[in-house]
Amino acid sequence: MPENDKQGLSVVTCTAPVNIAVIKYWGKRDEDLILPINSSLSVTLHQDQLKTTTTVACSRNFQQDRIWLNGKEEDINNPRLQSCLQEIRRFSRKRRNTGDSTSDASSVSHKVHICSVNNFPTAAGLASSASGYACLVYTLSQLFGVESEQLSAVARQGSGSACRSLYGGFVQWKLGTQLDGKDSLAEQVESESYWPELRVLILVVSAEQKSVGSTSGMHTSVETSQLLKYRADVVVPSRMEEMIRVIRERDFPAFGELTMKDSNQFHAICLDTYPPIFYLNNMSHRIISLVHRYNQYYGETRVAYTFDAGPNAVIYTLQDHLPEFVQVVRHFFPPEVNGEEFVKGLTVCSADLSEELKRDINMEPTPKGIRYIISTKAGPGPCVVKDPNHHLLGADGLPKKSAISH
Amino acid sequence: MPENDKQGLSVVTCTAPVNIAVIKYWGKRDEDLILPINSSLSVTLHQDQLKTTTTVACSRNFQQDRIWLNGKEEDINNPRLQSCLQEIRRFSRKRRNTGDSTSDASSVSHKVHICSVNNFPTAAGLASSASGYACLVYTLSQLFGVESEQLSAVARQGSGSACRSLYGGFVQWKLGTQLDGKDSLAEQVESESYWPELRVLILVVSAEQKSVGSTSGMHTSVETSQLLKYRADVVVPSRMEEMIRVIRERDFPAFGELTMKDSNQFHAICLDTYPPIFYLNNMSHRIISLVHRYNQYYGETRVAYTFDAGPNAVIYTLQDHLPEFVQVVRHFFPPEVNGEEFVKGLTVCSADLSEELKRDINMEPTPKGIRYIISTKVCVHAMSTS
Repeated sequence: MPENDKQGLSVVTCTAPVNIAVIKYWGKRDEDLILPINSSLSVTLHQDQLKTTTTVACSRNFQQDRIWLNGKEEDINNPRLQSCLQEIRRFSRKRRNTGDSTSDASSVSHKVHICSVNNFPTAAGLASSASGYACLVYTLSQLFGVESEQLSAVARQGSGSACRSLYGGFVQWKLGTQLDGKDSLAEQVESESYWPELRVLILVVSAEQKSVGSTSGMHTSVETSQLLKYRADVVVPSRMEEMIRVIRERDFPAFGELTMKDSNQFHAICLDTYPPIFYLNNMSHRIISLVHRYNQYYGETRVAYTFDAGPNAVIYTLQDHLPEFVQVVRHFFPPEVNGEEFVKGLTVCSADLSEELKRDINMEPTPKGIRYIISTKAGPGPCVVKDPNHHLLGADGLPKKSAISH
Repeated sequence: MPENDKQGLSVVTCTAPVNIAVIKYWGKRDEDLILPINSSLSVTLHQDQLKTTTTVACSRNFQQDRIWLNGKEEDINNPRLQSCLQEIRRFSRKRRNTGDSTSDASSVSHKVHICSVNNFPTAAGLASSASGYACLVYTLSQLFGVESEQLSAVARQGSGSACRSLYGGFVQWKLGTQLDGKDSLAEQVESESYWPELRVLILVVSAEQKSVGSTSGMHTSVETSQLLKYRADVVVPSRMEEMIRVIRERDFPAFGELTMKDSNQFHAICLDTYPPIFYLNNMSHRIISLVHRYNQYYGETRVAYTFDAGPNAVIYTLQDHLPEFVQVVRHFFPPEVNGEEFVKGLTVCSADLSEELKRDINMEPTPKGIRYIISTKVCVHAMSTS
């Protein structure tokens, strides 16, 4: 429930996680409702390492809706933002009209001030639109008292993959069949505590040239790739079934192989687009090569990569293999001496590498190819922040000085 | 007819061209007969710039078959070589048995010495197996008197794309339907009306790490890529029709766009392979980017790229655009100062680039990214005998 004070200022702060798809979403069947051409499945990452924090304040004294992202005021008229605000308000009015509300009767018509920050740098190239929109929608729903079942649809209209950030653990976003998109929703497959041995590494690669944005990229793919329709209609449905099965069986080798294949197929579609889109760069290729050689050395899939619309690698592995693999990365991508901390997030034990392993992998080290690693794991869905000291907006409805990103 | 001398030594020398596919072959339905999963179409390049020369000598005095490639003796027991030799000898015997021969009755059972050279460096990464096998098979056929209609099948068994080097101009290698591969043959698409304005540039990129070989690469693709079957069964057949049509209409923008799309789809299949295969490197990506920006500047497809199983780019364009595009390449991939000749082959006139063009392309130059360029064109006559 939002805090209310004498000025009629209601404030709610929530946090929401990032998610990384293992079966990829790439392509819409409806650009307005943001309905995908295929289902997708993701792993929600732990908010201790990656999260968006959003404060929404609502007051009859506010003149207009306003939004600040990572310390900077942005244009509230962004169509995706407007979509979310309108939809949430619509659901809230519907609730009130059915007499189902316990929130402040007038708040939905009041203007809101929104302030949002990420605890990870934007320059890291980690897509923050999923966590950002999920957090916004969740926070607004807490403020206006909207039921959680409807949030999928609202978050989706902000950013497709945002609906998957509304749940923890392993989450699928179902394609849906209805034209109005009412059945294109996210749902949890298994919770974050289902597979506690699963660990995640984000290898942040040195930033190079700007990539093609996801929205326009996937649009061009739908328009021009002859292979994409086949992927969406034939390949993905069976991969979704398989992925759900291997997760439920906690079968890491199968999970890993399928994850790598779907990442590669996504990038294959990008290459089959006209003009072609290249998200994987030379460093990404080296990381892929390293993973395959490492797995080949052990004769099993111990480590798996997946790449989104950028060069950063997300590595899945089991905690038993984590120390050695991190050491392998450190060896073949030696970081800057006296640079920033190379491994951030969850602590990783040290490990020795055998000479045999290094020889067998047989790759030239690429100094400073990877800027740093974030070590994390699967985590929960969005939650409310109870402590009022963590609100990003002050009593005046403006960002507190501390609410700036790093 | 082979030269014959008193020692019973017959010698024939022939040359054969390189071909560059615009609709790609990648994947076999039969590994022994080398039958493809889809048809393919290529452009045969002019032998003045790129060719394989092969001499075959045959004598009753030779103890065994032997082969020298680019000056080095190689293993004659290479299965593909053996395939070609056996097939040619089989066809030759069949001809003799039907009483149709005018060649030396005993030569097919004699051993042969084969010597083959390319006029382009192997290090350039230009696939020489097509020109190599085409030349070998043609030379042997001249020696043993085998009809040309059967050469497709023999060349194909040496190296799939070799059958396309048996013809000039624009050549298709038909997929075929028979299990024995007898109808999986190459044939010329356009014989009389070729396209003299079409020009070809090979951008030889600085060599980096060794790529996955084609034979094993395409095998892994067939085994693991779920997209490949769809490409072969659905996409390629309609692209073959379209490609033949746009060549006949000499429609360069359509030809160029389809060529680029098929090159990209081939590399997409490589990425959809498990483990994934990367033939395009950073330099290839920059060249692709340059072509798209150049075409965008003019609002039409004036230049097209295609890449095979390696980082070298083959550029198709019309002769009117050649000088400016070569200058664009020189500007954005400045060669070594005092290095080797940057543009080899056919002469390219110089051209000035407008500041507006350079600004609009808006790419950082990549010094020495391209080692050199071979400028060539379409070859009308393929095989020849010296």
